[in-house]
Amino acid sequence: MYKKKDISVDFLGIHLENPFILSAAPPTDELEIVADGLKAGWAGAILKTTSVENNPVGLKYPMMSSFGPQARKVTGLGNIDLISQYHIDDIEKRVRILKEAFPDKMIGASIMGSKKEDWQGLVRRLKKAGVDLIECSFSCPQGSMGEAPGRMLAQSIEATEKVAGWVKEAAGDTPVLIKITPQVTDIVEVAQAVKRGGADGITASNTIPSLMGIDIDTFQPYPSLRGKGTYSGLSGPAILPLTLRTIAEVASNVDITISGNGGAYSWRDVVQIMALGAGNVQFCTLPMAYGFRTIEDLKSGLAHYLSDKGFASPMDIIGKALPNLKQHDELPSPYTRAELADEKCIGCGLCFNSCRDGGHRAIDWDGDGRRPRIDEERCVGCAMCMQVCPVDAIRMKEREDDWTSYFVIGR
Amino acid sequence: MRNILTREQAVLEAGRCLYCYDAPCEKACPSAVPVPEFIRSITTGNLKGAMEIITEANPMIDICGELCPAFCQDVCTRTQINSPIRIRELHRYVTGNADMAENLEVPAAKGGKVAIIGGGPAGLACARELRLKGYSPYVYEKDKPGGIPMQEVSSGRLPEDRAGRETGFINDNFVSGVIDEDVDSAQELLKSYDAVFVSAGLAEERDLGIPGESLKGVYKAREILRDIKNGVRSKAGKRIGVIGGGNVAVETAAALKAEDPSRDVEIIYRRGMKEIKAFADEIEEANELGVTFQFMSIPKEIKGGGRVEGILLTRAHLGEPDASGRRRPQPVPGSDFTIPLDTIVVAVGQQADKAFPGISRKADGLIDTGEDMMTNIKGIFAGGDIVRGASTIVECASDGKSAALKIAKFIEGGVMNV
Repeated sequence: MYKKKDISVDFLGIHLENPFILSAAPPTDELEIVADGLKAGWAGAILKTTSVENNPVGLKYPMMSSFGPQARKVTGLGNIDLISQYHIDDIEKRVRILKEAFPDKMIGASIMGSKKEDWQGLVRRLKKAGVDLIECSFSCPQGSMGEAPGRMLAQSIEATEKVAGWVKEAAGDTPVLIKITPQVTDIVEVAQAVKRGGADGITASNTIPSLMGIDIDTFQPYPSLRGKGTYSGLSGPAILPLTLRTIAEVASNVDITISGNGGAYSWRDVVQIMALGAGNVQFCTLPMAYGFRTIEDLKSGLAHYLSDKGFASPMDIIGKALPNLKQHDELPSPYTRAELADEKCIGCGLCFNSCRDGGHRAIDWDGDGRRPRIDEERCVGCAMCMQVCPVDAIRMKEREDDWTSYFVIGR
Repeated sequence: MRNILTREQAVLEAGRCLYCYDAPCEKACPSAVPVPEFIRSITTGNLKGAMEIITEANPMIDICGELCPAFCQDVCTRTQINSPIRIRELHRYVTGNADMAENLEVPAAKGGKVAIIGGGPAGLACARELRLKGYSPYVYEKDKPGGIPMQEVSSGRLPEDRAGRETGFINDNFVSGVIDEDVDSAQELLKSYDAVFVSAGLAEERDLGIPGESLKGVYKAREILRDIKNGVRSKAGKRIGVIGGGNVAVETAAALKAEDPSRDVEIIYRRGMKEIKAFADEIEEANELGVTFQFMSIPKEIKGGGRVEGILLTRAHLGEPDASGRRRPQPVPGSDFTIPLDTIVVAVGQQADKAFPGISRKADGLIDTGEDMMTNIKGIFAGGDIVRGASTIVECASDGKSAALKIAKFIEGGVMNV
């Protein structure tokens, strides 16, 4: 009964009904599951990374672990997963079946190889099967089959350029994305290498190599497999700021198409990722945690946001935030002070406590009235008090004689 | 009127939602509102999306936001961890902050006229769904559209502007015409309409069946509620007994007390606190206002010479459960007692009147319908209180929605020859 706004995008010449893609991960590792995801409304899928037959994949379980501020709420999700156990024969078949069943959806495939003939052989077979897009995993944090085993391909500038070139050579007019890692000294160099290699775009980025935790009774790392553990790839809302930075650095410095990946959990995250330069956004942890049904609020939220802001298409927001991104020494120096909205304050004292011990002692505490009082003389405007206020009663303001403005700190 | 949650409160509360699969809340809602979906949209700040989710499922969103007994909350999974999500308050946060008319898209009418008798929640819900399917609904209503919520529910519980907005929204966008006429024969309407939906509600209130009911100062509850709603100061006096244990009894008592706090208003009920049928939040509101309760008291006779002077009651004890599963009140011999009162309000239930001849009724006077919601007469459907007996708004709205589906099917020929 309500009008639905068109939120389709064009990405590397592929028409997507919305900018939400299922990334190369467990939800795209079984034909039936990925088909359900596409039916639910996701615009496309990149099938979980495959390789050539002679590379055995030894998955180990339990595989997943997580942390979060509330019990069993996934803020950061860790996995010790590897690439798909299905090899190219199966993936080739699936691409054919999915393309036939979903001609309007984007069917991509992720590949990983070591030798030139592996990479190019995989590409040729997928291309023949009718794949819309090829993504190359240069950044699986749980081990790589690149030139130097145990090291990610994208951590070598030379290897990145060379392999990107091999893949693009075989792919011809089929678009190629290179999936990179932020775990490098200079992400811009890697992105430039991808571009020099001739790939069409970059997937920025991937899970982040992490150690999910240690059981303090037994000193076993999480997840613990008979007492032993290893490093996980971290995903979920916890890594969104890392992803934003990776995308921003690439988009600011290299003219190349970006597919955003890592930490998107809602349409708000999508807007941010696209505003920093991504042309679409990949999802894995959200559907893994709450199911494919999560597409509904992504579509509805983005559509309403665009209408409210007067944007005709999601493509209109790509890169919108980049002009506002500066180096620290280029930032202005505002005169800012904290301001308390007395009617919102509930008297918890957290702002006082944090300012007292956090270095500025610019808030006084009226214990009888249970109210903080900000001393504008001592306040430097750091905004720490605002971070701990549970009811958003504190804002950072700048005031001249005839105007007042408030700073956007984020939330 | 209850306060609407602030954004911070709503987001925190919504964040407690587990986002259950196959959610019990959604299944418990007679209008099948996808509760976890709209709550998720609150957490992401997609208020308009949340509004669309609720409105598409439930035509009576404002009225339900205020009055729904919230069956959803009774089954919330979160209760097993600590306490249920305050779903109704989240619902009200959404509906109180978004405009349901924005982005509305009503399809062109494709022909096919339906007469709807009664513009209450069932009738209006049916009208909306029919219009969304391209049919033209005409509502026969002599009173203010909106039915009992608009005509009787006190403004303390349902502020006029909230209910008015919604009924106006439906009337403006989905009703092809309102006809200010009594309908004597539903069959007659079939000559000019493709189908008829009878949602006229319950017109009559039951008597107590004891001596003294015709004395001055004895009123029926809905008559009092209508007076209060219309701003006419009710005739009730200073010492009032309201007889009954249902929602209407409790609501009438609360409305009388709210109208004049200097009154003594007492609810007189045959059974105990545990057996009372009114919803817990209505009882709580009445308590807050200072309404008192006389439990385990069976009315025997209304006393007075011309005017009410008091009521003769007998103490009850509870015997074996009756057909409703509640224990039956039985008089305790020799326990008669009298309470002096100047007004008695009878709120012991409602019944259907004898309108619409030719449409078959069950023994209790309610209209008899089949699975397809059709009466014994082909093309005449019925729903709401006139079929269910006194029930909730959300149930009636759900009837209207379901009936629209069946009526559309009927007009399209799906059940013509059944």
